[in-house]
This record gives sequence, structure tokens and C-alpha cells, in this order.
Amino acid sequence: MIRHAQVCAVAAFAAAWLLVGAAAAPPAMPQQMGALPRGGTYVIYPDLTVGSASIALWFRAPGAGYDNATPGIANLAATAAAVAPLASGRSLYALVHSLGGDLNVEVYPDIVGVATVVPAAAARRVVAAITAAYFAPILDDTAVKTARANAAVLGVQQRYEADTTLHDLLFRRIFAGGPAHYPPLPTTVSALTSVSTPQISDFAKHAFRSENAMLVMTGNVDPSSVAAVTDGAGTGRGDPPFDSPLAPNPAPTTATGAVGGIGLAWVGPPIADEKAATALDFVADYLFRDETGVVTRELDASASDALVIGQFITLHDPGVMVVTIGGDRESGVRDRVLAAIAAMQQPMNPQTFDGAREAFLYHVASDTQTPQERSDNLGWYGAEGNLSYAPGMLDGSYAESVRALDPAYVAGVVRRYLQAPVLVDLVAAATPQEPSQ
Amino acid sequence: MISLRSILAALTMLSLPLAAAGAAPAVNPPSVDVNGGATVVQQVDSAAALTGVTLVVRAGLDRQTMRENGLAALVAETIVRTPVSNPAQPLDDAIAARGGSIRFTVDPGDVRFYLESLAADAPAVLDMFRTALVAPSFAAETVRDAKTQLAREIAANQQVALNVGLDMLNAASSQQANAGLPELGTPASLAQLVPSDAASFYRAYYRRGGALVSAAGRLETLPPGTLSALGGSLPEGSTVAVTVHVARLGGSTHEIVAHRDISSPWLIAQYPAPVVSSRDFGPMLVLAAFLRRTISDIAQVPGVVSPTFASRSVGAVYVYDRVPASLVLYVNGGIIGNPSRAFATALSVVNVLAATRLQGSIEEFKAVAAGDFADDATTLETRTWLAAVFSRESASPDFINSGLASISATTAADVQRVARKYLGNPTIALVLPRGTNLQD
Repeated sequence: MIRHAQVCAVAAFAAAWLLVGAAAAPPAMPQQMGALPRGGTYVIYPDLTVGSASIALWFRAPGAGYDNATPGIANLAATAAAVAPLASGRSLYALVHSLGGDLNVEVYPDIVGVATVVPAAAARRVVAAITAAYFAPILDDTAVKTARANAAVLGVQQRYEADTTLHDLLFRRIFAGGPAHYPPLPTTVSALTSVSTPQISDFAKHAFRSENAMLVMTGNVDPSSVAAVTDGAGTGRGDPPFDSPLAPNPAPTTATGAVGGIGLAWVGPPIADEKAATALDFVADYLFRDETGVVTRELDASASDALVIGQFITLHDPGVMVVTIGGDRESGVRDRVLAAIAAMQQPMNPQTFDGAREAFLYHVASDTQTPQERSDNLGWYGAEGNLSYAPGMLDGSYAESVRALDPAYVAGVVRRYLQAPVLVDLVAAATPQEPSQ
Repeated sequence: MISLRSILAALTMLSLPLAAAGAAPAVNPPSVDVNGGATVVQQVDSAAALTGVTLVVRAGLDRQTMRENGLAALVAETIVRTPVSNPAQPLDDAIAARGGSIRFTVDPGDVRFYLESLAADAPAVLDMFRTALVAPSFAAETVRDAKTQLAREIAANQQVALNVGLDMLNAASSQQANAGLPELGTPASLAQLVPSDAASFYRAYYRRGGALVSAAGRLETLPPGTLSALGGSLPEGSTVAVTVHVARLGGSTHEIVAHRDISSPWLIAQYPAPVVSSRDFGPMLVLAAFLRRTISDIAQVPGVVSPTFASRSVGAVYVYDRVPASLVLYVNGGIIGNPSRAFATALSVVNVLAATRLQGSIEEFKAVAAGDFADDATTLETRTWLAAVFSRESASPDFINSGLASISATTAADVQRVARKYLGNPTIALVLPRGTNLQD
């Protein structure tokens, strides 16, 4: 399925990234969308029955820089902006924590999300602070030093996460160039140190300008909080999506890392092909969801220690189905995974399909209950170019796409997209070292 | 490494006062009805796509004798595995196929079932549950299936050091020996139980008295009376706990050690804590927030923004939804370089809190407590459960507004008083990898 979860929205707002005029949602629609006072857009999905709110900013930004020559620059810039002092002398990060909230900087190859979860009473103040921190970033060496330290620690951790390591290696094989070819986290010493503070600052000023932003507010938040945005000077347009060219015939490869695993990937449909993308979300849910997936349950029943994670990653163009395998007897599990996917090339039994589709609808809704989950989905799908397709929102197009699926269609999508996978075999080295290419 | 001295300095200065964050928007409080002996609590959430329902029945651990260890869980699992619908399939599978889920938790005094589904499917899902609840199958095959499932879950739990430690600590802190038994029993105790044991327990304790239905989400799809009918579906009558007294442990310090197939040691400390109706509730939430931040700082890499393995490997949890309530501190020794030192530092901080006069503002920790409390109550499951807890143990099920109000009203003197009152001698559990000992 997608990455964390999903949403839904309004057809008229499908290409809302560059929205100019304020658009009031009809009463039945919980989302409200419009233009920020000084450039950029916002979307609000309020829920006044909870005590917290999520305030997030999402941007289209190439992780390796606009010339793809500085891998990790988006990560360094986004983190530095969070820790740089604001006019009050306190950074966004410190402010959010002092208000009882949490802040997460989420950097992907083509987009950046900065997400907070705060007590509802702090929402307005955080709206002002987060937009000040990113729409008018003032990055100094101290902030960049913190960002580098943060990336270094996360880089060491990532070596022990087979799923993330395999994900990056698979994308490097699938995409010949562009931001998706490079890991979003700078993992080498040179990537960490070769980019200067002025470069990072320039990147931040361009990537995080207000007209390139979408402010997402979910949970117990008042729509009038938008008025707390006082920064930004945007009169132009946001960036288009940052797509990456595919490699012609990626061959299987072996890499070494701190932990072992096997990664499989298939190039899938773009986000605009909602029905096909939804079909692959359904396949991932049916086969690989924790506790309920067909493959997952088989492995559990066999007392296997293998961990299989499968998801369709919805991207602007194209999406990617990724399956990673860790734990024991990886080769046997890989064969089981491939057999399960091959079996999906034939239409499922209608009764089984109906139950699986209803369960999938439930899983989507269950995964999008909290303000943070809803905020993540709205931000991700908006940044990837199809806000109206964000899963989990009431009355959106995602649920319609699920209900439109039938066994024959799903089998056809599997035959079309899930044939020979790109394969990466990650071999655990005796001594931890950086993954080879 | 953060020194004790620096923490002491932090304790005496705490933090500078914050500017007012603004008034907290009021959250619509749950409504309560008492119908035919069962209480029904409802929280309507029109932004939700789901309906979540918790049913609480007075059939928990304290209804078991010591010989019946695991029987409360076996009955609950048997209900979940009871064949329903046409063609017949176990309840949990039938609900999953309908687009929903069901799970249960055995508490010291209660068993609680949680059902969740798409709003449109909720009437059918609740109907299936009611069918199994009022007439569970105690056929040998169903009970055997339930035992197999429980054995699998027990085995999985034994791999989680924190669960192992908490089981031991709960056993040590329970006023009644049976209420401190492991939630799911043990493989050995389950093996002794037969279907007639399960049937007898069900007949004796699945009664309407004290039952509570708590629902949240899209409730308008439910036909009128659905929730009260669920609470009223059990036979009338109330039950009492089985009394099994145990002598309290002597001595001023208590340490419990267990060995499991785990890769690293865990150190866990448990202190008594107030119930939600106590005036100490808010101050303890603030105290727990302070401890959580402090021991996370002890483990954290200085200056790093994102959560790390180290910062996630320590914690402080105020368990107010279980009887008796407790405060738990834990350290995962596999991540922390020197777990003994980190643990000792955390315990020292607790002692200092109880003995040192606090100066400065506690506003930042009140904000942290409010943030943690609010963010921990955002899923339908936690919202239904907390409404049930507050409904039973306080004057109102309005957990979010009353919880936040109690935090807001907390003073530094309250925190000091609560630290002194509760943070005396902890019971400590050490969960060690097999083949290691305390000297290691």
C-alpha cells in the first residue's frame, strides 16, 4: 500500500497543489482548502473530538539538490531549519517540545514533510512558528552542524534497518538518475561534509518558499489558525513534481551491509492512474499486511522468524511496489513471496475477493484514525500531485477506487506490473560497513 | 552522558515560564446512559470512518482461583473463536471478512473486548459478536483452538522482555494473588483446563452487573438501542471477586530476576501510583512527563533532533488504567551503553525529586504532560477505553477535558507532594538473557 496510510478528497481539488483562490468545502466534506495569505496552499481536516492537532508543512524538493549533485541536501536543510533560532530566540524544534509536542522531519527523494503533533491549545502558535521557520529560513553554521550530527546518527541506525537499506538500494537500481536514484539521508562522510552552509541555506530558501508549500492541519484545530501565518512572500508558483528516469534493464545485484536481507521491486503505475495504484495497494494489503496478510500468516504459522514488509509506494510517476525480506531463510521466503504474487495473476475467488476488499477498506480507515496519520496522508498525496486521492478521508476518491476493483481487474494489473522484479541481495558483512553500490 | 549534577540543576531550575499557549479548545464530552444494569458511554465523531466499541465485563483475573490461571483468557478467546455466520467460521475471521477486527484484554478485574469496523458494517459486526457472546461454543474443538491461539501469544510475549518484567511486577504489586496472575495464563496452566471449566466460568461471571459499553466514532449507523442491547445481552446479576490473600513481601527493596531467550538485559522499576479519581492524578501525569523526558535525555545523543534507538529504549509510563495503578521506568540494556548506570541515574532522579524542594516553573512539564495525554487518546480504541475507565472510577467519562484540567491545575508543590507520597522504594525487575547473571 502507500507508505504510512491514506486519505480522500474532492475531485475539483485534485490538482490543488497550485491552488490560488480560497475554496470553501461543502458542509458534508470535512476538508477545507485554500490559499495561504502569502503564497502556498492549506488543507484542514478537523476533528474536534480529540485533544491534539497535527500541523505540518509539505514541499516538493529534490533530495539530492536541484542538479542532483548534493545527495542529502534536502535532509540537512529541513533539519537545520527546524533547529535554527526564530525571532524569539527559540527554534521550532525547541518550541514544539516546550509546548508538549513532537516534531518529525520526513525527507523522501522527491518531497519533504515537517510534521508536528501538539496539544490543541498550541496549534495556532505552532502554525505561526513552523511557517516562520521554513518560509523565511535563516540557517547558520550551528544549525547546519546539528543537522549533520542528526544525519550521522540516523545514518548509523539505518545500517541496522534492512528495510530502509534495501529500499534505497532498490531505488538506486530502478532509477537511472534523478532524486529517486539517491538516498534521501546523507550516509557518507563526504555527503555530510561536502555541502556548505551557504549551499544548504540557498537550497532551503528555494525549496521551502511559501508558494512551494502545503500547510496541513488535522485534529482539533480551528480553521482561523491559518491567519497565524505571517511569513512568506510568494507570488509565484510551486515546483512541479520531481520525477526520475527509469533504468532500462536493471540487473540483480548483491550488496553488503550490517544486516542481511532480500529486496524485490517492481515499477508500478503513476498516482494519476488511481484504479491501478489502488489495485496494487490491495495486493500488498492482501499478501503482506502485518497479522492478516496471506504470506504473513503462512510465515507466522510456520514459526518463521522472517519479516516480510510489502507495500506499493504511491509516487507521482511511477509508483513502486517494494517487498523486503529480513530474518531467517530469506531465499525460501523470497520464493514464497514470488509464488504468492504469481498466483495473483489469476482472478481471485469472488467470495474471497469480496471479503479481502472489505477488509482492505477497513485497514485503510483503521490506519488513518489519528491526526498525525491523516496529516501524513494528506501531505504525501498532495505533494505527489493527487490530493483528492489521499486515502482514509471521508467521501474521497480512494474508497471509490477500492470499491471499483474486481478480481479480473486486479489480476490484470498484477500481470501488467508485477512480472520480473528488480532484485537486491543484501549480505551481512562480518564487520558493519556502509552498503556497497 | 548527562551527569546527576546537571539533572539536579535542571530539577531546581526546571524551566522558564512559557507564554500562554492559548485556551484549549473544549472537546465534546462523551454521553452516558445506564440501561438495564449496563452503562453505555458514547463519543460521536463525525470525522471518523469507523465505529469502535469496547465491552467491559467483570470477568477478569480476580474471578479466577489460583488453580484456574488463564481461565479468564481462555473464555474470552473461546468467544472470539466461536463459529458464527453462514457458512460458519470463527468470530474473528468472520468479522475480518466483513471488514473489521476484534481483540480482547484481560485486566485484573475485567475482561474487555474491542470491536472496530467500517461504520456501515458495524451493525452486522456487533450482531455477530452478540451472537457469540450470548452463546459461546465450548465444544472441545473450539476450546482447543482457543488454547492453541493463547499458547502462541504467550510464547510471543515471552520474547518481549518488557512484558515479562511487567508480569512479574504486577504479580508482586497485586493485593490479591489471583489478580496478579499472567493475563493469558501459562502453557502449563492452560493445559490443565477443560471445556467444562470454561463453560462454568462463563456461566458464573459473564453477567450484566458492572458491564460497560463504550463506543466512539460514527455511531449514527447503529440502529437505536444497539449499544444498550449489547450491554443487556448478558444475564442479569452481579458477581464478586475470588479472594486470595497473599502476604506482602518484606524488606525495603525488592528485586525480581528472570531469564528469557532475549538478546539483552532489561531493567524495570515499578512504583505505586494514584487512580484517575485522585487529586494526585494530574500531578502524577506531570511527574511522569518529567521522568520520561529526563531519562530520554539521559539516553539521547546530545543535539540530535530525530528520535533514535537510544531515546526509544528508555521510558516512563504512568499506568493509570490498570488496578492497582503504577508508574514504570524501564531501560533496554541492549541499546544503552551502560544500562546499569542509566537505570541508577533514573532512580536517583526519582529519589531527588522526592527529597529536593522544587524551584522555578513546571509549566513546560505540564505542557509535555498535556501533549502526551492528548496524543495518547486519538485512536477510537484508546478513546473508548479511557472513557470506560473514567466513567467507572470518576464522576464523569470526560477523560480528555478532566485529564487536561487536572494537569493545568497542578502546582510545583503538588508534584513534590506526589513524588514524596508515591516514589519510595520501587520493586525492580531484571530480565536477563539466559546464561547471564546479575554480576554480568
